[in-house]
Amino acid sequence: MTTYSQASWTDEDAERYEPLLSEKASERVDIEDSPLPEELTRDSLELPAPAEPELARHYTRLSQMNYGVESGPFPLGSCTMKYNPSFTEDVAALPAAAVHPDRPDRTVQGTLGLSHRLQEYLGRIGGMDAVTLQPPAGAAGEFTGIRIAKAHHRHNDDERSEVVIPDSAHGTNFATAAMAGYDVVELPSGEDGRVDIDALDAAVGEETAALMLTNPNTLGLFERDIERIADIVHDAGGLLYYDGANLNALLGRARPGDMGFDVMHYNVHKTFATPHGGGGPGAGPVGVTEGLAPFLPDPHVRRTDGGYEYYRPDHSIGKVHGYYGNWPVLVKTFAYIARLGDSGLADASAKAVLNANYLAEQVPYEVPFGPFHHEFVASAGEQDAADVAKGMLDHGVHPPTTKWPEIVDEALMTEPTEGESRRSLDQLAAAFEAVHSEDDGTLASAPRRTAAGRIDQVSAARSPRLSWQALDSDD
Amino acid sequence: MSFDVPDDHRYLESHEWVRTDDDTARVGITDFAQDELGDVVFVELPAEGDDLTAGEGFGVVESIKAVSDIYAPVSGTVTAVNEALFDRPELVNEDPFGEGWMLDVTLADESELDDLLGADAYRDRIA
Amino acid sequence: MTSPYAPHTDAETEAMLDAVGVDDIEALFDVPQSVAFDGEFGIPEHGEREVRREAAGLLGRNDDLTEFLGRGHYTHYVPSVVDDLSSRSEFLTSYTQYQPEVAQGFLQALFEYQSMLVELTGLDVANCSMYDEATALGEAATLAQRVRSVSGETILVPDHLREGKREVLANYADGPGLAIESYPMADGQTDVDALAGTIDGDVAMVYAETPTVRGVIEERLADVGALADDHDALFCLGSDPVALALLERPADVGADVVVGDAASLGTGTAYGFGLGMFVTRETYLRQVPGRLVGASEDSEGRRAYTLTLQTREQHIRKERATSNICTNQSWVALRTAIHAAWLGPDGLVDLAEDCVTRPRDLAARFDDVTGVQAPVHDGHHFREFVARTDRPARAVVEDLAAAGYAVHAVGEHLIQVSATEVTAEAEDGLVGAITEVVK
Repeated sequence: MTTYSQASWTDEDAERYEPLLSEKASERVDIEDSPLPEELTRDSLELPAPAEPELARHYTRLSQMNYGVESGPFPLGSCTMKYNPSFTEDVAALPAAAVHPDRPDRTVQGTLGLSHRLQEYLGRIGGMDAVTLQPPAGAAGEFTGIRIAKAHHRHNDDERSEVVIPDSAHGTNFATAAMAGYDVVELPSGEDGRVDIDALDAAVGEETAALMLTNPNTLGLFERDIERIADIVHDAGGLLYYDGANLNALLGRARPGDMGFDVMHYNVHKTFATPHGGGGPGAGPVGVTEGLAPFLPDPHVRRTDGGYEYYRPDHSIGKVHGYYGNWPVLVKTFAYIARLGDSGLADASAKAVLNANYLAEQVPYEVPFGPFHHEFVASAGEQDAADVAKGMLDHGVHPPTTKWPEIVDEALMTEPTEGESRRSLDQLAAAFEAVHSEDDGTLASAPRRTAAGRIDQVSAARSPRLSWQALDSDD
Repeated sequence: MSFDVPDDHRYLESHEWVRTDDDTARVGITDFAQDELGDVVFVELPAEGDDLTAGEGFGVVESIKAVSDIYAPVSGTVTAVNEALFDRPELVNEDPFGEGWMLDVTLADESELDDLLGADAYRDRIA
Repeated sequence: MTSPYAPHTDAETEAMLDAVGVDDIEALFDVPQSVAFDGEFGIPEHGEREVRREAAGLLGRNDDLTEFLGRGHYTHYVPSVVDDLSSRSEFLTSYTQYQPEVAQGFLQALFEYQSMLVELTGLDVANCSMYDEATALGEAATLAQRVRSVSGETILVPDHLREGKREVLANYADGPGLAIESYPMADGQTDVDALAGTIDGDVAMVYAETPTVRGVIEERLADVGALADDHDALFCLGSDPVALALLERPADVGADVVVGDAASLGTGTAYGFGLGMFVTRETYLRQVPGRLVGASEDSEGRRAYTLTLQTREQHIRKERATSNICTNQSWVALRTAIHAAWLGPDGLVDLAEDCVTRPRDLAARFDDVTGVQAPVHDGHHFREFVARTDRPARAVVEDLAAAGYAVHAVGEHLIQVSATEVTAEAEDGLVGAITEVVK
């Protein structure tokens, strides 16, 4: 069993860990003799003013009180926390990549050329005819895709009011549909955890703008009836939207375009190993079939004689990001795909699926649905899944996603990714095993080896203190 | 686990209670409901003078991980709001039928009470 | 090849397949034959060094120009500690802080970032990021629509607004049925009298920017705020952290929401890669989009941090969430916070003052050139200014590019020049080049 203790500093008064920057070195400067008239300036500014050595130590300590993929296993289901190859950082940091977005096309042919290459690669990987790189994250990709669907229906004078979404889908799907002005029709899952065809038939109709589907779904199950599902949606005049969150399960085995999907987003952090940066940035390119290409965001890159240019697609939905999206993340995506190529990408999916299946064999918890692919959802049964997660933290692993999807009781949604070796999967399994045999009282007081102990979520929400100013005003 | 289900209240399937005193009805959520939700961190209620319609949502109660609509057991005009809940939402957990009450409303149609569950029926509902 | 980032040896793969009970990995894919893919992507594999060369070769086709460009995407000198510290893998390769006990470091860094924005704006609540300024503006519009006391359905924006930003806003506004209308600008600033004539009870939100897209510092923001307030509309102000270090506090001019690009600190030129600021009043706390980090206590009774008020967010509230945003720009926010702390208030104010004097001085030098009048606008400038050229602007911009300099063409005879400390040494060259090309 691996023993683990996260670094932690406790302040001498023992009331806090690493002090806030503002508690270390705060300084107020008065704005005087500025080059602006006094009535246009603020009076003063108070901010931390640490010397560089203090600053370096502060953030180094904070980093040590944080856990990343390079710290240990990170089987957070649905989030695909795979290893992020270092070299992609260097590619994104190439000086030639750092250009201003308002440069004329002909002076940034390199940027357009790389973008075009990435559009092509993603199109082939997803089986899509055209791809925009502009959406800055997966959820932004969803929004872009559903806006495209809306523009398509409007263009046909066929305004529709509903988007159909399975109950096991990511919360973003529901929120995206609502943001785009649609009513959400929630589709109950069938007994096998997949789309219930009869329920789908009943839910889909002339108001259906789109069905948003994740395949394999959040239980890791492939929607075997995908062709029938596509027919039902298309026959009703709706579009089929592919949530690319789980594409890491299928590279080289199946493509959304071949399954009948009309529009999809790619989560580049999940499928193409760009680092998640503690919450972002991501990128959410969107692929569409030829018929939807005229609705893509403005601008889109195309080839010209001997070069590349931006153009506005005929019925473009306009822009979804102020410029061209999260460019450095796109460069990392390009680098990863170019490194692996066809066979490497296919192997990544193979190992991701193998790892999930191997780990599922070792865990002491029941896995109610299958056959699954890159992730599985176990049930903590009589244990509280959230407590199981806290217990696992003490074993030097990041826990799975908990209590979701809700169709599994006390869900432990586990996605080891291809990046874990057999040995680290065994370490993970041992952590599951250890927690499985712990009593509720022990688990309720976990974790004990992390930088901080169990954090009181209730008081954080009952009296929100969201800045150091709010802390001061309480004292 | 056994939950408090006072005999002199009437209940909605969705776990709200109503207790009448002359033509005023007091409304809250049940002991079972607060237990299901867990620690309540936020309660959103209508203002005095707002009208409720039986069966329709009038507010929201939130825990850390869940949000629940609260439905009106009866129709009527809000005459009092339990403002203590804004600072101390935990009262809903601690005393759901007492200090954790939510609204007083004037009872517009007494016959609506007949559509609600009695204590025994509600006990069966949560059994 | 096999993925270089999957550690399995062949023997391990075999042993694992045995444990699972299948002979072949392909047997684990439950994909019906009719939709199975048996083709090729046609993407060749490369060694790491080859990819670096390939990308460098592709990007090498970008012309090497000294950029005097701004209009929303700005570059300041980013100190080395920002790259160094933010690249620590515990930050870079971590996820959203759903398990706060192992993520105290990032949570605290985001809490500090939020606090810095609170200080800069004078408002109460900052979220820990949106994608960029344009999407933050879109989110502000939908917030205005959700806030019950605001009844209108029109979003008023300056007619100088960048077209791209307006289009992003339009995409956000369409769902809730909001209309976007413009109010006129006069001499690079809000025409407050014209705004007074335009605004009515149907307006949900008024948006203004300082500095404006023309680089002019707005002088009557308090009047804009009062007009919005009189009409029961929200006042949303666009700015950036450097400008806010010196200019009037948004809270003091009646701003209800502040949006903007905060990546001007912490991230250099990156083709529009941004960091959306979103700061608002406590009144709208429950309507804030995106993630919030709050302080709490742990089981030891010590102060600790956690994501909070998550019931606003998509993973809990689904179609009733305040936004669909999930992945945001946390790591960019970390960089901004490190940069701001490195500068300290003195350094930040100095930088902001430089943003006032530098364009002023450079505009004066432009004005001395025959065939150029600068600045076109009368007011105070921040980072950039507009100049009039006797020759058509397009020709001027092209000829400047040929000489190695990039500036904006913003009208038939108008160019825009953005100048920060990073191009300080190139200013003489630019002035020389403009002197030549306007002849």
